[in-house]
Amino acid sequence: MADTAISGQGRRVRFRQGTLLKVLVLALLIALIVLPLLRTVLFTLQPDVIKAWSDVLTGRLSTNLFYKPLGNTLIIGAVVSTGCVLIGGFLAWLVVMTNVPFRKTIAVGATLPFMIPSFAAALAWGTLFRNDRVGGQVGFLQGSGLDVPDWLAWGMVPTLIVLTLHYFSLAFTIIAAALATVNSDLVEAAQIAGAKGRRILMGIILPVTTPALVAAGSLCFAGAVSNFATPALLGLPVRMQTLSTRLFGMIEVGQVGRGYVIGILLVLISGVFLWAGNRIVSGRRSYATITGKGGRAKRFDLRAARWPLCAVAVTILLASTIVPVVVLIASSFAPSSADLFSNWTTHYWLGQSNPAFAQGTPGIVHNQDIVRALLVTLGLGVAVAFTGMFVGLLASYTTARYREGAMSAAITQISFLPLLVPGIAFGAAYIAYLGAPIGPLPALYGTFALLVIAGTAYLLPFAVQTGRAVIQQVGGELEESARLTGAGFARRLAAITVPLAIRGLAAGGILIFVKIVRDLSLVVLLFTPTMPVLSVVAYRYASEGFGQFANAITVVILLLSIAASLLANRLQTKSQPWLKN
Amino acid sequence: MLEIKSLTKRFGDVEAVKDVSIAVPDGAFLVLLGPSGCGKTTLLRMLAGLEQPSAGQIVFQGQTVSDGDKNWSVDPARRNSGLVFQSYALWPHMSVRGNVEWPLKVAGMAKADRAARVDEVLQLLDIRQLADRYPNEISGGQQQRVAIARTIAPKPGVLLFDEPLSNLDAKLRVEMRTELMRLHRATGATTVYVTHDQIEAMTMATHVAVMDGGRVQQFGNPNDLIERPETAFVATFVGTPPNNMIPVVKNGTGYKIGGKHMALEPPAEQCLAMYRAEALRVAPEETSTSLPMELVEVSAIAGRTMVTALRDGLRLTAIVDSAPGLRIGETVHMQLPDQPACWFGPDGARVQ
Repeated sequence: MADTAISGQGRRVRFRQGTLLKVLVLALLIALIVLPLLRTVLFTLQPDVIKAWSDVLTGRLSTNLFYKPLGNTLIIGAVVSTGCVLIGGFLAWLVVMTNVPFRKTIAVGATLPFMIPSFAAALAWGTLFRNDRVGGQVGFLQGSGLDVPDWLAWGMVPTLIVLTLHYFSLAFTIIAAALATVNSDLVEAAQIAGAKGRRILMGIILPVTTPALVAAGSLCFAGAVSNFATPALLGLPVRMQTLSTRLFGMIEVGQVGRGYVIGILLVLISGVFLWAGNRIVSGRRSYATITGKGGRAKRFDLRAARWPLCAVAVTILLASTIVPVVVLIASSFAPSSADLFSNWTTHYWLGQSNPAFAQGTPGIVHNQDIVRALLVTLGLGVAVAFTGMFVGLLASYTTARYREGAMSAAITQISFLPLLVPGIAFGAAYIAYLGAPIGPLPALYGTFALLVIAGTAYLLPFAVQTGRAVIQQVGGELEESARLTGAGFARRLAAITVPLAIRGLAAGGILIFVKIVRDLSLVVLLFTPTMPVLSVVAYRYASEGFGQFANAITVVILLLSIAASLLANRLQTKSQPWLKN
Repeated sequence: MLEIKSLTKRFGDVEAVKDVSIAVPDGAFLVLLGPSGCGKTTLLRMLAGLEQPSAGQIVFQGQTVSDGDKNWSVDPARRNSGLVFQSYALWPHMSVRGNVEWPLKVAGMAKADRAARVDEVLQLLDIRQLADRYPNEISGGQQQRVAIARTIAPKPGVLLFDEPLSNLDAKLRVEMRTELMRLHRATGATTVYVTHDQIEAMTMATHVAVMDGGRVQQFGNPNDLIERPETAFVATFVGTPPNNMIPVVKNGTGYKIGGKHMALEPPAEQCLAMYRAEALRVAPEETSTSLPMELVEVSAIAGRTMVTALRDGLRLTAIVDSAPGLRIGETVHMQLPDQPACWFGPDGARVQ
């Protein structure tokens, strides 16, 4: 019956399977990630620039250039990561292990702060607490007749508070996930052994979750030291510098060499802490146990402390999410921050140019700069979502399919490298990399392409993570069985891989869209007036004292993020007959 | 002819398949039998063209399709072969009809021919009423049929199965076994079937290759394996129940077997004596050729009784006519015949 004659001619297997693909992906990743960083380092080693190293590290100006900002940066990192682990750990414990009221609401609320851009809270803080120290509008409290002291209005204290209220949600996510894997049998075994609440916490739960605490701490540390928006908005007006604001300042005034040196040092600092955290975690046994048993039979009974602890949790959540959002929205309608909840006007949204308002700046819908920035931002988000998911999928497919070999290991390592690089340093690296012409290629500074390429590279770790999950879902044998039919790579992709993976891809793409739309630190250095993006426009307005415009734009960014997230949810629940049971 | 010539596959330093040579005629049902990790699935994947051999050749119907020495290979889709995966690998977003039709579409078959062929194979596997269901809406046994239908639809000359029945429950497994044999007769395709279940091998195969540690231990028809096992591994892996293997040790002038002197004349000082289960008896009391052991299992099989006893790590199984009047844990006297069925040397090879 074998009536299909052997039609095929054989071919020589010139390379090991997958070598071509691996070389291609590796080359792409090197071009996107390694070369920019390398080029930055090489730039600072040029004969006429190398002096920047001694200027920054040992020169007369080094105290102001490097050591003071370094001190501030380390204080921010240490305090914020400690605070985040305490607050995030406390909320995670409440939600996962106790019978606190409104557990689910608290769980959702604790993940929200990370969904709003970090500069939103900083802007809201200014709107509330700003005093007359640096001139311009005063904030709501000062306007209401309270005398806000300088330490509460500006500098280190507000920076620490705002950053902690932003990053604790990252710590919460990690610690809650770890606590959820603590098998209820472990706790029950301790109870049978006679241990009581406190003893169980210190003797069983804490040791088991230590790796998660360390991981949460080091990620919050790296996030806090590389944050740009908050220290820039709350610290710069009183000349409090961190390494990221210093880096921004150096590049802005044209001292590019010094800026790059500070950037390299910033990468090293955040990298060392992430690496150290990783070492501590991987050095010990992982205790996380995943069993088939779901659900916790018994929760720790808080008794009389239930409602007080619930009140503490709700206060934290209100302060971190609800209050900033309400303040931003109110401020975008209020004639001045001092007068937040009366005399509302729609001028900042709909008004035509009027010399009585904000030196004649027209409202958002009539403001050509802002409308253009909105379009550029949307385009950037969509473009980066597509390119990011494409590269991410390609890289994760390659490493999943051809696991062995040094090249696969290199692809994995390089694709996660941007996690170690603060956004502002990555932006600086891209100026060094593509800001000037390379051979026949034109300089890309000020072009849309530069924003897209840098954004793609910067967000690659998230894209690869999503890509991996998607590839795991599609599985090796499904693809292999398609290969056996003789379908080529493109056809398999179109008929098998993409239809199965589309939900995961869409969700991943939207995640990237949201991340790039609300990002400030990467784009703040790549920004040019011809290629404006919303977050930088908001930052500019805020630094020039037009708080309402900054706040209104931030509200737009918030709305975009929320709309995109809702869309992602909708896509995920879209009817797919093969998923019905 | 399906020929495998000196085939070797290395993963780094590990040799998964070592110097395997097998040839079966067209239309044969070849079973690759062995414990997990013996290299049988790797061998099958090389036949499918999913893995490239490190050395040796694979020849389908006179045409070399893989050559590890020249690093040359025919694309998996152009070998005139089809593979049924252990997990079935049905595409979850396509209906049953879609799953069976897609490979034909890729092969460029005209629409009308395609529909006819799909109907034909769905009919053959008795799943036509499921054509518009999705894989998650049908049972495991039905998924198995879809996977087979999808594979035979393009009429491959060589059909490859990777432990296809291992995910089914016992009753369904027996049914599918019969079904697969019927299908083999209907298509006439040369079939290569990987399993660790020796009953499947014995019932379905025309040829069996018993594999262990990457090597073929013995290649022959099922009867050969039972009648003349070539190695101690084959003797104890094949057969229901498998044969008993007892070490014999020289002790002074005589020989000790299972810790007891018996009048045996082994061909070497150290070797293994093989006794068939049906040759063992249960003695009412100790005799010169019985071994006192602990009774561990008694079960009725087709009107006879299988008795298993254990002592010092030695496990003996006998098939006897009636159950011994003993309880589990009591001492049973396992009576050996005068001479073993055959001898194996300490290296496991049969001694002539």
